[in-house]
Amino acid sequence: MSDLAQLQQHFMALLQGTSDKLADHITEQGELNTNQRLSIYQNAYKIRLRAVIEQDHEQLGRYLGDDLFELMVEGYLQTFPSKFTSLRNFCDQLPQFLSTTEPFIQHPILAEIATFERMLLTAFDAMDAAHLRVEALESIAPENWPSLQLVLQPSVQLVCFNTNAVESWQALKEQQSPPEPQHQSSKCWVIARDLQRRTQYVYVDQQEFRLLSLIKNQTPFAQLCQSCLNELEPSLIAGFLIEKINSWLERGWLKQF
Amino acid sequence: MKEQFLGFGLGLRAPHLEQIITEKPAVDWFEVISENYFVAGGKPWYYLNKIRENYPVVMHGVSMSIGSTNALNIDYLKSLKETIARVEPQWVSDHLCFTQVGDINSHDLLPMPYTQESLEHLASRIHQVQAYLGTEMIFENVSSYLTYKESQMTEWDFLAALHHKTGCRYLMDVNNVYVSARNHQFDAMTYLNAIPKKAIAQIHLAGHQDFGSHIIDTHDEDVSPPVWDLFTRYAQQLGPVSTMIERDDNIGTLEALIKELDQARELVQPFWQGMAKNE
Repeated sequence: MSDLAQLQQHFMALLQGTSDKLADHITEQGELNTNQRLSIYQNAYKIRLRAVIEQDHEQLGRYLGDDLFELMVEGYLQTFPSKFTSLRNFCDQLPQFLSTTEPFIQHPILAEIATFERMLLTAFDAMDAAHLRVEALESIAPENWPSLQLVLQPSVQLVCFNTNAVESWQALKEQQSPPEPQHQSSKCWVIARDLQRRTQYVYVDQQEFRLLSLIKNQTPFAQLCQSCLNELEPSLIAGFLIEKINSWLERGWLKQF
Repeated sequence: MKEQFLGFGLGLRAPHLEQIITEKPAVDWFEVISENYFVAGGKPWYYLNKIRENYPVVMHGVSMSIGSTNALNIDYLKSLKETIARVEPQWVSDHLCFTQVGDINSHDLLPMPYTQESLEHLASRIHQVQAYLGTEMIFENVSSYLTYKESQMTEWDFLAALHHKTGCRYLMDVNNVYVSARNHQFDAMTYLNAIPKKAIAQIHLAGHQDFGSHIIDTHDEDVSPPVWDLFTRYAQQLGPVSTMIERDDNIGTLEALIKELDQARELVQPFWQGMAKNE
Protein backbone atom coordinates (compact mmCIF):
# COMPACT_ATOMS: atom_id res chain seq x y z
CA MET A 1 0.00 0.00 0.00
CA SER A 2 1.32 3.46 -0.89
CA ASP A 3 2.09 6.03 1.78
CA LEU A 4 -0.77 8.17 0.51
CA ALA A 5 -3.26 5.31 0.64
CA GLN A 6 -2.19 4.40 4.16
CA LEU A 7 -2.52 7.99 5.35
CA GLN A 8 -6.01 8.21 3.90
CA GLN A 9 -7.00 4.96 5.59
CA HIS A 10 -5.73 6.30 8.91
CA PHE A 11 -7.80 9.45 8.38
CA MET A 12 -11.00 7.51 7.73
CA ALA A 13 -10.30 5.24 10.70
CA LEU A 14 -9.99 8.33 12.86
CA LEU A 15 -13.37 9.60 11.68
CA GLN A 16 -14.91 6.17 12.27
CA GLY A 17 -13.41 6.06 15.75
CA THR A 18 -11.55 2.82 15.09
CA SER A 19 -7.95 4.06 15.19
CA ASP A 20 -5.94 7.13 16.12
CA LYS A 21 -2.86 6.22 14.10
CA LEU A 22 -3.30 9.42 12.12
CA ALA A 23 -1.92 11.29 15.13
CA ASP A 24 1.53 9.86 14.35
CA HIS A 25 1.48 11.72 11.04
CA ILE A 26 0.59 15.18 12.33
CA THR A 27 3.05 17.98 13.01
CA GLU A 28 2.76 19.78 16.34
CA GLN A 29 2.28 23.49 15.66
CA GLY A 30 0.76 26.61 17.17
CA GLU A 31 -1.69 26.80 20.03
CA LEU A 32 -3.58 23.60 19.24
CA ASN A 33 -2.15 20.20 20.00
CA THR A 34 -2.58 17.26 17.66
CA ASN A 35 -5.57 15.81 19.49
CA GLN A 36 -7.39 19.12 19.27
CA ARG A 37 -6.67 19.34 15.56
CA LEU A 38 -7.92 15.82 14.94
CA SER A 39 -11.03 16.38 17.02
CA ILE A 40 -12.02 19.23 14.71
CA TYR A 41 -12.34 16.71 11.90
CA GLN A 42 -14.04 14.10 14.10
CA ASN A 43 -16.60 16.62 15.28
CA ALA A 44 -17.22 18.01 11.81
CA TYR A 45 -17.85 14.51 10.46
CA LYS A 46 -20.51 13.78 13.08
CA ILE A 47 -22.08 17.22 13.01
CA ARG A 48 -22.49 17.17 9.23
CA LEU A 49 -24.11 13.74 9.08
CA ARG A 50 -26.24 14.39 12.14
CA ALA A 51 -27.56 17.52 10.42
CA VAL A 52 -28.53 15.48 7.37
CA ILE A 53 -30.56 13.06 9.50
CA GLU A 54 -32.15 15.97 11.33
CA GLN A 55 -33.07 17.73 8.09
CA ASP A 56 -34.35 14.67 6.21
CA HIS A 57 -36.21 13.24 9.22
CA GLU A 58 -37.42 16.30 11.07
CA GLN A 59 -40.65 14.83 12.43
CA LEU A 60 -39.01 11.53 13.36
CA GLY A 61 -36.53 13.56 15.37
CA ARG A 62 -39.35 15.33 17.18
CA TYR A 63 -41.11 12.06 17.83
CA LEU A 64 -37.98 10.54 19.35
CA GLY A 65 -36.98 13.48 21.52
CA ASP A 66 -33.38 14.58 22.08
CA ASP A 67 -31.94 11.55 23.89
CA LEU A 68 -33.32 8.86 21.61
CA PHE A 69 -32.48 10.94 18.55
CA GLU A 70 -28.84 11.15 19.64
CA LEU A 71 -28.83 7.39 20.30
CA MET A 72 -30.21 6.81 16.81
CA VAL A 73 -27.63 9.11 15.22
CA GLU A 74 -24.73 7.38 17.01
CA GLY A 75 -26.00 3.94 16.10
CA TYR A 76 -26.78 4.79 12.49
CA LEU A 77 -23.37 6.38 11.90
CA GLN A 78 -21.71 3.26 13.28
CA THR A 79 -23.90 0.79 11.40
CA PHE A 80 -24.39 2.58 8.11
CA PRO A 81 -21.52 4.99 7.39
CA SER A 82 -22.20 6.79 4.15
CA LYS A 83 -21.36 4.87 1.00
CA PHE A 84 -22.93 7.52 -1.17
CA THR A 85 -21.44 10.46 -3.01
CA SER A 86 -24.58 12.49 -2.36
CA LEU A 87 -25.91 13.19 1.13
CA ARG A 88 -29.36 12.86 -0.44
CA ASN A 89 -29.05 9.08 0.00
CA PHE A 90 -27.27 8.93 3.34
CA CYS A 91 -30.42 8.08 5.32
CA ASP A 92 -31.77 5.52 2.87
CA GLN A 93 -31.16 2.70 5.36
CA LEU A 94 -32.62 4.50 8.35
CA PRO A 95 -35.95 2.60 8.21
CA GLN A 96 -34.01 -0.67 8.10
CA PHE A 97 -31.87 0.45 11.04
CA LEU A 98 -34.92 1.37 13.12
CA SER A 99 -36.68 -1.89 12.37
CA THR A 100 -33.70 -4.06 13.30
CA THR A 101 -31.98 -2.24 16.17
CA GLU A 102 -32.80 -2.09 19.87
CA PRO A 103 -34.46 -0.16 21.41
CA PHE A 104 -36.10 1.22 18.26
CA ILE A 105 -37.23 -2.20 17.09
CA GLN A 106 -39.69 -2.22 20.01
CA HIS A 107 -41.57 0.68 18.42
CA PRO A 108 -42.58 -0.20 14.83
CA ILE A 109 -44.03 3.26 14.30
CA LEU A 110 -40.50 4.69 14.17
CA ALA A 111 -39.45 2.74 11.07
CA GLU A 112 -42.75 3.62 9.43
CA ILE A 113 -42.35 7.35 10.11
CA ALA A 114 -38.83 7.11 8.66
CA THR A 115 -40.15 5.24 5.62
CA PHE A 116 -42.82 7.87 5.10
CA GLU A 117 -40.27 10.69 5.25
CA ARG A 118 -37.98 8.89 2.76
CA MET A 119 -40.94 8.48 0.39
CA LEU A 120 -41.76 12.17 0.63
CA LEU A 121 -38.19 12.90 -0.45
CA THR A 122 -38.39 10.41 -3.28
CA ALA A 123 -41.60 11.98 -4.54
CA PHE A 124 -40.03 15.43 -4.25
CA ASP A 125 -37.22 14.81 -6.73
CA ALA A 126 -38.51 11.91 -8.84
CA MET A 127 -38.28 12.15 -12.59
CA ASP A 128 -40.63 14.52 -14.38
CA ALA A 129 -43.00 13.17 -17.01
CA ALA A 130 -45.85 14.63 -19.03
CA HIS A 131 -49.24 14.13 -17.40
CA LEU A 132 -51.91 12.05 -19.04
CA ARG A 133 -54.81 14.20 -20.23
CA VAL A 134 -58.43 13.18 -20.54
CA GLU A 135 -58.34 13.98 -24.28
CA ALA A 136 -55.77 11.23 -24.78
CA LEU A 137 -58.08 8.69 -23.15
CA GLU A 138 -61.08 9.90 -25.15
CA SER A 139 -59.19 9.28 -28.39
CA ILE A 140 -58.65 5.59 -27.61
CA ALA A 141 -60.81 3.36 -29.76
CA PRO A 142 -63.18 1.08 -27.76
CA GLU A 143 -61.53 -2.08 -29.10
CA ASN A 144 -58.17 -0.93 -27.69
CA TRP A 145 -59.36 -0.38 -24.13
CA PRO A 146 -58.99 -3.99 -22.91
CA SER A 147 -55.27 -3.99 -23.68
CA LEU A 148 -54.70 -0.43 -22.48
CA GLN A 149 -51.97 -0.08 -19.84
CA LEU A 150 -52.19 3.02 -17.72
CA VAL A 151 -48.84 4.26 -16.37
CA LEU A 152 -48.19 5.92 -13.01
CA GLN A 153 -46.09 9.06 -12.78
CA PRO A 154 -42.52 8.33 -11.56
CA SER A 155 -43.21 10.27 -8.36
CA VAL A 156 -46.16 8.04 -7.38
CA GLN A 157 -45.34 5.69 -4.52
CA LEU A 158 -47.68 3.25 -2.85
CA VAL A 159 -47.29 2.19 0.75
CA CYS A 160 -49.31 0.60 3.55
CA PHE A 161 -48.51 1.13 7.21
CA ASN A 162 -49.62 -0.92 10.21
CA THR A 163 -49.29 1.93 12.69
CA ASN A 164 -50.62 5.47 12.85
CA ALA A 165 -47.28 6.73 11.48
CA VAL A 166 -48.75 9.22 9.01
CA GLU A 167 -51.23 10.64 11.51
CA SER A 168 -48.40 11.09 14.01
CA TRP A 169 -46.16 12.69 11.40
CA GLN A 170 -48.94 15.08 10.46
CA ALA A 171 -49.58 16.08 14.08
CA LEU A 172 -45.89 16.79 14.63
CA LYS A 173 -45.70 18.77 11.40
CA GLU A 174 -48.54 20.94 12.73
CA GLN A 175 -46.66 21.43 16.01
CA GLN A 176 -49.15 19.26 17.90
CA SER A 177 -48.57 16.29 20.17
CA PRO A 178 -48.74 13.03 18.24
CA PRO A 179 -51.45 10.51 19.15
CA GLU A 180 -50.51 7.44 21.17
CA PRO A 181 -48.83 4.89 18.90
CA GLN A 182 -51.30 2.32 17.66
CA HIS A 183 -51.03 -0.90 15.76
CA GLN A 184 -53.88 -0.96 13.31
CA SER A 185 -55.00 -2.86 10.27
CA SER A 186 -53.07 -1.93 7.20
CA LYS A 187 -53.74 1.64 6.08
CA CYS A 188 -52.62 2.56 2.58
CA TRP A 189 -51.30 5.80 1.14
CA VAL A 190 -50.25 7.31 -2.14
CA ILE A 191 -47.34 9.72 -1.98
CA ALA A 192 -46.82 11.74 -5.14
CA ARG A 193 -46.26 15.16 -6.64
CA ASP A 194 -49.39 16.92 -7.83
CA LEU A 195 -49.85 18.98 -10.98
CA GLN A 196 -48.25 21.97 -9.24
CA ARG A 197 -45.19 19.86 -8.23
CA ARG A 198 -46.25 19.88 -4.57
CA THR A 199 -45.55 16.67 -2.68
CA GLN A 200 -48.83 15.23 -1.39
CA TYR A 201 -49.92 12.16 0.55
CA VAL A 202 -53.40 10.78 0.13
CA TYR A 203 -55.19 8.00 1.99
CA VAL A 204 -56.65 5.36 -0.34
CA ASP A 205 -58.81 2.39 0.56
CA GLN A 206 -57.73 -1.20 -0.10
CA GLN A 207 -59.63 -1.40 -3.37
CA GLU A 208 -58.02 1.74 -4.83
CA PHE A 209 -54.64 0.66 -3.53
CA ARG A 210 -55.03 -2.69 -5.29
CA LEU A 211 -55.95 -0.99 -8.58
CA LEU A 212 -52.98 1.37 -8.39
CA SER A 213 -50.69 -1.55 -7.56
CA LEU A 214 -51.97 -3.41 -10.61
CA ILE A 215 -51.33 -0.36 -12.78
CA LYS A 216 -47.83 -0.12 -11.36
CA ASN A 217 -47.34 -3.73 -12.45
CA GLN A 218 -48.39 -2.84 -16.01
CA THR A 219 -51.69 -4.71 -15.83
CA PRO A 220 -54.01 -4.25 -18.84
CA PHE A 221 -57.31 -2.47 -18.33
CA ALA A 222 -59.33 -5.66 -18.86
CA GLN A 223 -57.65 -7.22 -15.84
CA LEU A 224 -58.29 -4.08 -13.78
CA CYS A 225 -61.97 -4.61 -14.52
CA GLN A 226 -61.79 -8.30 -13.62
CA SER A 227 -60.11 -7.49 -10.31
CA CYS A 228 -63.25 -5.59 -9.31
CA LEU A 229 -65.64 -8.51 -9.88
CA ASN A 230 -65.57 -9.63 -6.25
CA GLU A 231 -66.64 -6.19 -5.03
CA LEU A 232 -68.89 -4.74 -7.74
CA GLU A 233 -71.68 -5.79 -10.05
CA PRO A 234 -70.27 -6.13 -13.58
CA SER A 235 -72.51 -3.36 -14.85
CA LEU A 236 -71.04 -0.92 -12.32
CA ILE A 237 -67.37 -1.62 -12.94
CA ALA A 238 -66.82 0.60 -16.00
CA GLY A 239 -68.39 3.63 -14.33
CA PHE A 240 -66.47 3.00 -11.14
CA LEU A 241 -63.14 2.80 -12.96
CA ILE A 242 -63.85 5.90 -15.05
CA GLU A 243 -64.56 7.81 -11.86
CA LYS A 244 -61.30 6.56 -10.35
CA ILE A 245 -59.27 7.38 -13.47
CA ASN A 246 -60.71 10.90 -13.53
CA SER A 247 -59.68 11.43 -9.92
CA TRP A 248 -56.14 10.16 -10.69
CA LEU A 249 -55.95 12.51 -13.68
CA GLU A 250 -56.97 15.43 -11.46
CA ARG A 251 -54.34 14.49 -8.91
CA GLY A 252 -51.67 14.17 -11.60
CA TRP A 253 -50.86 10.54 -10.84
CA LEU A 254 -50.96 9.21 -14.40
CA LYS A 255 -48.25 9.59 -16.98
CA GLN A 256 -48.81 10.30 -20.67
CA PHE A 257 -48.51 7.15 -22.79
CA MET B 1 -14.99 25.13 -21.31
CA LYS B 2 -13.08 28.43 -21.14
CA GLU B 3 -13.69 30.46 -18.04
CA GLN B 4 -14.75 34.00 -18.72
CA PHE B 5 -15.30 36.90 -16.37
CA LEU B 6 -18.93 36.50 -15.34
CA GLY B 7 -18.90 39.25 -12.74
CA PHE B 8 -20.21 38.78 -9.20
CA GLY B 9 -22.27 35.74 -8.28
CA LEU B 10 -23.89 33.83 -5.46
CA GLY B 11 -24.19 30.21 -4.44
CA LEU B 12 -27.73 29.15 -5.29
CA ARG B 13 -29.51 28.03 -2.12
CA ALA B 14 -32.99 26.57 -1.59
CA PRO B 15 -34.49 29.36 0.56
CA HIS B 16 -33.92 31.90 -2.23
CA LEU B 17 -35.16 30.01 -5.29
CA GLU B 18 -38.69 31.43 -5.52
CA GLN B 19 -37.47 34.95 -4.89
CA ILE B 20 -34.77 34.73 -7.55
CA ILE B 21 -37.29 33.53 -10.13
CA THR B 22 -39.89 36.19 -9.35
CA GLU B 23 -37.66 39.19 -8.60
CA LYS B 24 -34.68 38.51 -10.89
CA PRO B 25 -32.21 40.21 -8.53
CA ALA B 26 -29.05 41.95 -9.70
CA VAL B 27 -26.74 38.97 -9.42
CA ASP B 28 -24.50 38.26 -12.40
CA TRP B 29 -24.43 34.46 -12.10
CA PHE B 30 -25.12 31.56 -9.78
CA GLU B 31 -23.13 28.54 -8.64
CA VAL B 32 -24.99 25.29 -7.93
CA ILE B 33 -23.80 22.27 -5.96
CA SER B 34 -23.39 19.57 -8.59
CA GLU B 35 -24.54 16.66 -6.42
CA ASN B 36 -27.82 18.41 -5.60
CA TYR B 37 -28.81 17.75 -9.20
CA PHE B 38 -27.94 14.06 -9.26
CA VAL B 39 -31.70 13.58 -8.91
CA ALA B 40 -34.09 12.82 -11.72
CA GLY B 41 -36.45 15.76 -11.59
CA GLY B 42 -38.99 17.56 -9.46
CA LYS B 43 -38.58 20.97 -7.92
CA PRO B 44 -34.76 21.01 -7.89
CA TRP B 45 -34.65 20.82 -11.68
CA TYR B 46 -37.74 22.94 -12.18
CA TYR B 47 -36.21 25.83 -10.24
CA LEU B 48 -32.78 25.45 -11.80
CA ASN B 49 -34.18 25.44 -15.33
CA LYS B 50 -36.15 28.61 -14.57
CA ILE B 51 -33.07 30.32 -13.16
CA ARG B 52 -30.93 29.23 -16.11
CA GLU B 53 -33.29 31.20 -18.35
CA ASN B 54 -32.01 34.42 -16.78
CA TYR B 55 -28.56 33.73 -15.36
CA PRO B 56 -25.30 31.98 -16.27
CA VAL B 57 -24.74 28.99 -14.01
CA VAL B 58 -21.55 27.20 -12.94
CA MET B 59 -21.36 23.83 -11.20
CA HIS B 60 -19.43 23.16 -8.01
CA GLY B 61 -18.97 19.61 -6.74
CA VAL B 62 -18.09 18.32 -3.29
CA SER B 63 -17.74 14.56 -3.81
CA MET B 64 -15.37 13.88 -6.69
CA SER B 65 -12.66 12.92 -4.22
CA ILE B 66 -10.00 13.66 -6.82
CA GLY B 67 -7.24 13.05 -4.28
CA SER B 68 -8.48 9.66 -3.10
CA THR B 69 -6.34 6.61 -3.76
CA ASN B 70 -9.52 4.68 -4.56
CA ALA B 71 -10.14 3.92 -8.19
CA LEU B 72 -12.02 6.79 -9.80
CA ASN B 73 -15.72 6.46 -9.08
CA ILE B 74 -17.12 5.97 -12.56
CA ASP B 75 -20.74 5.99 -11.35
CA TYR B 76 -20.10 9.41 -9.85
CA LEU B 77 -18.40 10.69 -12.99
CA LYS B 78 -21.24 9.36 -15.13
CA SER B 79 -23.79 11.24 -13.00
CA LEU B 80 -21.64 14.36 -13.18
CA LYS B 81 -21.31 14.12 -16.94
CA GLU B 82 -25.06 13.69 -17.35
CA THR B 83 -25.69 16.66 -15.07
CA ILE B 84 -23.22 18.81 -16.99
CA ALA B 85 -25.08 17.95 -20.19
CA ARG B 86 -28.39 19.06 -18.63
CA VAL B 87 -27.14 22.20 -16.89
CA GLU B 88 -24.75 23.40 -19.61
CA PRO B 89 -22.68 25.30 -17.03
CA GLN B 90 -20.07 27.92 -17.82
CA TRP B 91 -17.58 25.70 -16.01
CA VAL B 92 -17.33 22.90 -13.46
CA SER B 93 -15.31 22.83 -10.25
CA ASP B 94 -14.58 20.55 -7.31
CA HIS B 95 -12.04 20.47 -4.48
CA LEU B 96 -8.39 19.43 -4.26
CA CYS B 97 -8.88 16.95 -1.48
CA PHE B 98 -10.11 13.44 -0.74
CA THR B 99 -13.54 12.63 0.65
CA GLN B 100 -13.83 8.88 0.14
CA VAL B 101 -11.67 6.04 1.45
CA GLY B 102 -12.59 2.50 0.49
CA ASP B 103 -16.35 2.49 0.16
CA ILE B 104 -16.99 5.05 2.88
CA ASN B 105 -17.59 8.71 2.17
CA SER B 106 -16.66 11.21 4.85
CA HIS B 107 -18.58 14.06 3.17
CA ASP B 108 -15.74 16.25 4.38
CA LEU B 109 -13.02 17.92 2.34
CA LEU B 110 -9.97 16.18 3.79
CA PRO B 111 -6.56 17.70 3.05
CA MET B 112 -3.86 16.03 0.98
CA PRO B 113 -0.27 15.71 2.14
CA TYR B 114 1.87 17.94 -0.05
CA THR B 115 4.22 15.29 -1.36
CA GLN B 116 5.61 14.28 -4.71
CA GLU B 117 3.39 11.20 -4.55
CA SER B 118 0.28 13.37 -4.09
CA LEU B 119 1.39 15.60 -6.94
CA GLU B 120 1.80 12.70 -9.34
CA HIS B 121 -1.44 11.13 -8.14
CA LEU B 122 -3.50 14.28 -8.56
CA ALA B 123 -1.97 15.10 -11.94
CA SER B 124 -2.86 11.67 -13.23
CA ARG B 125 -6.39 11.79 -11.85
CA ILE B 126 -7.05 15.28 -13.17
CA HIS B 127 -6.09 14.15 -16.67
CA GLN B 128 -8.31 11.07 -16.38
CA VAL B 129 -11.33 12.97 -15.06
CA GLN B 130 -11.07 15.72 -17.66
CA ALA B 131 -10.72 13.15 -20.43
CA TYR B 132 -13.81 11.30 -19.19
CA LEU B 133 -15.89 14.44 -18.80
CA GLY B 134 -14.64 15.96 -22.02
CA THR B 135 -14.06 19.28 -20.33
CA GLU B 136 -11.47 21.03 -18.21
CA MET B 137 -12.30 21.45 -14.55
CA ILE B 138 -11.18 23.96 -11.98
CA PHE B 139 -10.21 22.95 -8.45
CA GLU B 140 -10.71 24.71 -5.14
CA ASN B 141 -8.20 24.94 -2.30
CA VAL B 142 -9.63 23.57 0.96
CA SER B 143 -9.16 24.96 4.44
CA SER B 144 -7.29 22.73 6.87
CA TYR B 145 -6.57 22.25 10.54
CA LEU B 146 -3.53 19.99 10.43
CA THR B 147 -0.17 19.61 8.71
CA TYR B 148 1.16 16.18 7.82
CA LYS B 149 4.70 15.28 8.78
CA GLU B 150 5.02 13.73 5.33
CA SER B 151 4.49 17.02 3.47
CA GLN B 152 7.54 17.93 1.41
CA MET B 153 6.43 21.37 0.27
CA THR B 154 4.06 24.15 1.21
CA GLU B 155 0.48 24.11 0.02
CA TRP B 156 1.13 27.07 -2.27
CA ASP B 157 4.21 25.50 -3.84
CA PHE B 158 2.14 22.34 -4.30
CA LEU B 159 -0.65 24.21 -6.09
CA ALA B 160 1.84 26.05 -8.29
CA ALA B 161 3.57 22.78 -9.16
CA LEU B 162 0.27 21.09 -9.96
CA HIS B 163 -0.67 23.96 -12.24
CA HIS B 164 2.67 23.74 -14.05
CA LYS B 165 2.30 19.98 -14.38
CA THR B 166 -1.30 19.83 -15.58
CA GLY B 167 -2.35 23.33 -16.61
CA CYS B 168 -5.27 23.00 -14.22
CA ARG B 169 -6.76 26.22 -12.92
CA TYR B 170 -8.09 27.09 -9.51
CA LEU B 171 -11.11 28.29 -7.71
CA MET B 172 -9.34 30.29 -5.04
CA ASP B 173 -11.35 30.44 -1.83
CA VAL B 174 -9.83 33.47 -0.16
CA ASN B 175 -11.53 32.64 3.14
CA ASN B 176 -10.03 29.14 3.06
CA VAL B 177 -6.57 30.64 2.55
CA TYR B 178 -7.12 32.95 5.50
CA VAL B 179 -8.43 30.11 7.70
CA SER B 180 -5.47 27.87 6.90
CA ALA B 181 -3.02 30.75 7.28
CA ARG B 182 -4.25 31.37 10.82
CA ASN B 183 -4.40 27.68 11.70
CA HIS B 184 -0.90 26.99 10.36
CA GLN B 185 0.65 30.39 10.97
CA PHE B 186 1.72 31.30 7.49
CA ASP B 187 1.29 34.53 5.55
CA ALA B 188 -1.83 34.43 3.39
CA MET B 189 -0.44 36.82 0.78
CA THR B 190 2.66 34.66 0.40
CA TYR B 191 0.31 31.80 -0.44
CA LEU B 192 -1.75 33.82 -2.92
CA ASN B 193 1.25 35.42 -4.60
CA ALA B 194 2.84 32.02 -5.22
CA ILE B 195 0.03 30.85 -7.47
CA PRO B 196 0.36 32.10 -11.07
CA LYS B 197 -2.31 34.72 -11.72
CA LYS B 198 -3.30 33.02 -14.94
CA ALA B 199 -4.21 29.93 -12.92
CA ILE B 200 -7.05 31.66 -11.08
CA ALA B 201 -10.42 31.08 -12.71
CA GLN B 202 -12.84 31.92 -9.88
CA ILE B 203 -12.88 33.32 -6.37
CA HIS B 204 -14.98 32.27 -3.38
CA LEU B 205 -15.61 34.57 -0.44
CA ALA B 206 -17.16 33.16 2.73
CA GLY B 207 -17.35 33.46 6.48
CA HIS B 208 -15.81 31.52 9.34
CA GLN B 209 -15.85 31.26 13.11
CA ASP B 210 -12.84 32.58 14.96
CA PHE B 211 -12.04 30.81 18.24
CA GLY B 212 -8.86 32.80 18.91
CA SER B 213 -6.50 29.85 18.96
CA HIS B 214 -7.85 28.64 15.64
CA ILE B 215 -10.50 29.29 13.00
CA ILE B 216 -13.18 26.89 11.81
CA ASP B 217 -14.25 27.27 8.20
CA THR B 218 -18.01 27.22 8.61
CA HIS B 219 -19.25 29.24 5.63
CA ASP B 220 -22.11 30.30 7.91
CA GLU B 221 -21.17 33.89 8.70
CA ASP B 222 -20.67 37.14 6.84
CA VAL B 223 -17.29 37.56 5.21
CA SER B 224 -14.99 38.80 7.97
CA PRO B 225 -13.01 42.07 7.78
CA PRO B 226 -9.62 40.33 7.48
CA VAL B 227 -10.92 38.28 4.56
CA TRP B 228 -12.28 41.40 2.87
CA ASP B 229 -8.88 42.99 3.33
CA LEU B 230 -7.07 39.96 1.93
CA PHE B 231 -9.45 39.79 -1.02
CA THR B 232 -9.01 43.48 -1.80
CA ARG B 233 -5.22 43.28 -1.75
CA TYR B 234 -5.25 40.12 -3.84
CA ALA B 235 -7.81 41.35 -6.34
CA GLN B 236 -5.79 44.51 -7.07
CA GLN B 237 -3.03 42.33 -8.46
CA LEU B 238 -5.23 39.73 -10.04
CA GLY B 239 -7.47 41.61 -12.41
CA PRO B 240 -11.07 40.63 -13.13
CA VAL B 241 -11.94 37.13 -11.92
CA SER B 242 -15.48 35.82 -11.42
CA THR B 243 -16.15 36.26 -7.72
CA MET B 244 -18.93 34.97 -5.52
CA ILE B 245 -20.21 34.80 -1.98
CA GLU B 246 -20.58 31.22 -0.76
CA ARG B 247 -22.88 30.66 2.22
CA ASP B 248 -23.56 27.04 3.17
CA ASP B 249 -25.36 27.35 6.49
CA ASN B 250 -27.23 30.03 8.42
CA ILE B 251 -28.18 31.12 4.92
CA GLY B 252 -30.04 34.33 5.79
CA THR B 253 -31.89 36.56 3.37
CA LEU B 254 -31.09 37.02 -0.28
CA GLU B 255 -30.90 40.75 0.36
CA ALA B 256 -28.14 40.26 2.93
CA LEU B 257 -26.10 38.13 0.55
CA ILE B 258 -26.56 40.63 -2.27
CA LYS B 259 -25.37 43.35 0.08
CA GLU B 260 -22.18 41.37 0.67
CA LEU B 261 -21.85 40.80 -3.05
CA ASP B 262 -22.20 44.53 -3.68
CA GLN B 263 -19.48 45.11 -1.12
CA ALA B 264 -17.17 42.81 -3.09
CA ARG B 265 -18.07 44.63 -6.28
CA GLU B 266 -17.42 48.06 -4.79
CA LEU B 267 -14.13 47.00 -3.26
CA VAL B 268 -12.53 45.74 -6.44
CA GLN B 269 -14.25 47.39 -9.37
CA PRO B 270 -12.11 50.55 -9.11
CA PHE B 271 -9.09 48.33 -9.68
CA TRP B 272 -10.63 46.03 -12.22
CA GLN B 273 -12.05 48.65 -14.55
CA GLY B 274 -9.85 48.72 -17.60
CA MET B 275 -7.79 45.73 -16.49
CA ALA B 276 -7.76 42.75 -18.83
CA LYS B 277 -8.59 39.36 -17.40
CA ASN B 278 -5.55 37.22 -16.76
CA GLU B 279 -5.54 34.52 -19.38
